Amino acid sequence: MKNDIIRIENVWKKYDMGSVEPLVVLKEINLTIKRGEFVAITGPSGSGKSTMVNIVGALDKPSWGSVYLDDENISKMSESSLAFLRGKTIGFIFQQFNLLPNLSALENVMLPMEIIDQDEKKSRETAEKLLTKLGLGDRINHKPNELSGGQQQRVAIARSLANDPEVIIADEPTGNLDSKTGKFIMDFLGELNSNGKTVILITHDLDLVKYAKRIVYIKDGRIEK
Amino acid sequence: MKLKKCFNLAWNILIHSKLRSWLTIIGIIIGIAAVVSIISISQGAQQQLEDRLGSLGADILTVSPGFSKASGPMGGFREGPMDSDSDSSDEQKNLTVKDVLVLKNLDNVKYVMGQVSGKGEMTYLSKTASVSVTGVDESVWKDITYDELASGRFLVQSDFFSVVLGGRLVETTFENKIPLNGKITIEGKSFKVVGILADGNGVYMPLDIARTVLEDVGEEEFSSISVKIEDVEIANETVGLIEKKLMFSRGILNEKNVDFSVSNPSEMQATIQETTQTMSLFLGAIAAISLLVGAIGIANTMFTSVLEKTKEIGIMKAIGAKNKDVLLIFLLNSGMIGLVGGLGGIILGVFGSTLIGYWGSTLSGGESRMFGSTALTPELLIGALLFSLIIGMIAGAIPAYRASKLNPVDALRYQ
Ligand SMILES: Nc1ncnc2c1ncn2[C@@H]1O[C@H](COP(=O)(O)OP(=O)(O)OP(=O)(O)O)[C@@H](O)[C@H]1O
Ligand SMILES: [Mg+2]
Repeated sequence: MKNDIIRIENVWKKYDMGSVEPLVVLKEINLTIKRGEFVAITGPSGSGKSTMVNIVGALDKPSWGSVYLDDENISKMSESSLAFLRGKTIGFIFQQFNLLPNLSALENVMLPMEIIDQDEKKSRETAEKLLTKLGLGDRINHKPNELSGGQQQRVAIARSLANDPEVIIADEPTGNLDSKTGKFIMDFLGELNSNGKTVILITHDLDLVKYAKRIVYIKDGRIEK
Repeated sequence: MKLKKCFNLAWNILIHSKLRSWLTIIGIIIGIAAVVSIISISQGAQQQLEDRLGSLGADILTVSPGFSKASGPMGGFREGPMDSDSDSSDEQKNLTVKDVLVLKNLDNVKYVMGQVSGKGEMTYLSKTASVSVTGVDESVWKDITYDELASGRFLVQSDFFSVVLGGRLVETTFENKIPLNGKITIEGKSFKVVGILADGNGVYMPLDIARTVLEDVGEEEFSSISVKIEDVEIANETVGLIEKKLMFSRGILNEKNVDFSVSNPSEMQATIQETTQTMSLFLGAIAAISLLVGAIGIANTMFTSVLEKTKEIGIMKAIGAKNKDVLLIFLLNSGMIGLVGGLGGIILGVFGSTLIGYWGSTLSGGESRMFGSTALTPELLIGALLFSLIIGMIAGAIPAYRASKLNPVDALRYQ
């Protein structure tokens, strides 16, 4: 197994704005993340942090450059391989939780496993175990709108872990939460990292940056040394 | 993703759908209901028509003496020679035993019956009336006739001075006074009533007896010949065959000398059927338009539903759903909308057509019971369901395809 899990080489992202000048939001990004690292990405609003991790997480494509995951160039993958990557290798946690509103907590956590055709009984067991571990054992049949923000984010974390991914990408996971819940979630991410998972965390909060072993600062679409 | 899971998710979307989707479903319900009831009503009307025409004897051709076409000789010639064995005589105008024998062996001919008819005075107790008397061949009459018995029996070969009376004659003309096995008098001769028909004004008696009762009817001669055929579909061919054979046996070489005519009731039927088919087609077209409107409704609902679900599609893609999973979920969803609409439409359509059938039969008071019955065949119901499912899927195809092609980040950013 190679030591580098993610390698970004000369990635640019440009939005065509029609009549006005194109908007270049990522410029010449080069970044290598080692297996088991905990990286915090920080920088001013609008600097391109989300854009960058979306490209790393195969949700978006770069305009130029290559992204390697386990030495494989994901910019060249087919749609269905990318979908599998999003389901199996990467776990995403969003600021707005992004749970499916008409499914229960349990069903939301089971969905990534069912998408890659896991056995239903096994998926259910895994989902229950994860939800219990996140302190939601008594809330598994609740719909997202019957849960508090912190509870919803914990369901989202359980979902991101469903297929036991190698990389966790968390884009301001505590942005909408109070500091106590935020601390619980950060501690949980820290624990995941000490169990060997690679964690990429976007945050504005300087208090949270301290959880990371490495900080990447982005400004105006460039990584500042 | 497994089909079952896609199905569950599609179902989940359906049951959580907004009022708008249910309004679309109502559109489909009305469309399908209209189609189901229109088809069942027009099929029922057609069936009814066929039954009634059948009871008039669609399969009975009648050969009568004389030529009915304008260019031919008019009327029957009752004064023809008594001896029918002297054939190939140009003067022979009436129908004879020989003609009956000729017809008996033709293709598609089931029964042949010669009959004589005329007017006679009938008396029961003090009441006297002029009636139409028909002499029938006792051996085939009950096989050929569409009349039904109200009481008693048809004539049999051992009958001599026995009659069967038309029901209306008994009920109306003789005011219900004639009992079964009662004695009546016709042209001075006494008869026993062995049967009474459900309907009609006629008096039926054995051929030979009728010949003695009626004037102007020679031995071995018939006023008309009824031919019952096997297959109504080829009635026209059979008419042609009968004409050819009779012309040959009667020694007629030229068409304009033909001294008999053959009636074909199925021709008239065909005209009537054409009319009802045109009517069904017209009503069906209206129903099809309402279905089309329903389908556009589904497409519209699907487009907005996909738009509403954009964020959820983004979420599903972010956790690993492939394009084809999303496509399948939304196709199944629109198929379900169609199917639910179809089910509702069938229920409403069955209800509606039954109601119309009920009204039809009570309003028209039994006489012209055109819409008095409806035909709800399993084929129609299954067809309607399949049709609504397919309409749903076609209407949902483009929106579902668009949903599947959404870029995950763009979909996630959608508010
Ligand atoms: N689809 C798009 N079309 C045009 N511009 C876009 C699009 N998506 C993002 N941008 C622009 O790209 C820039 C970077 O956005 P991004 O979301 O990556 O910022 P960010 O660093 O995550 O900010 P924040 O901390 O506020 O989340 C912004 O200026 C934004 O307006
Ligand atoms: Mg951001």
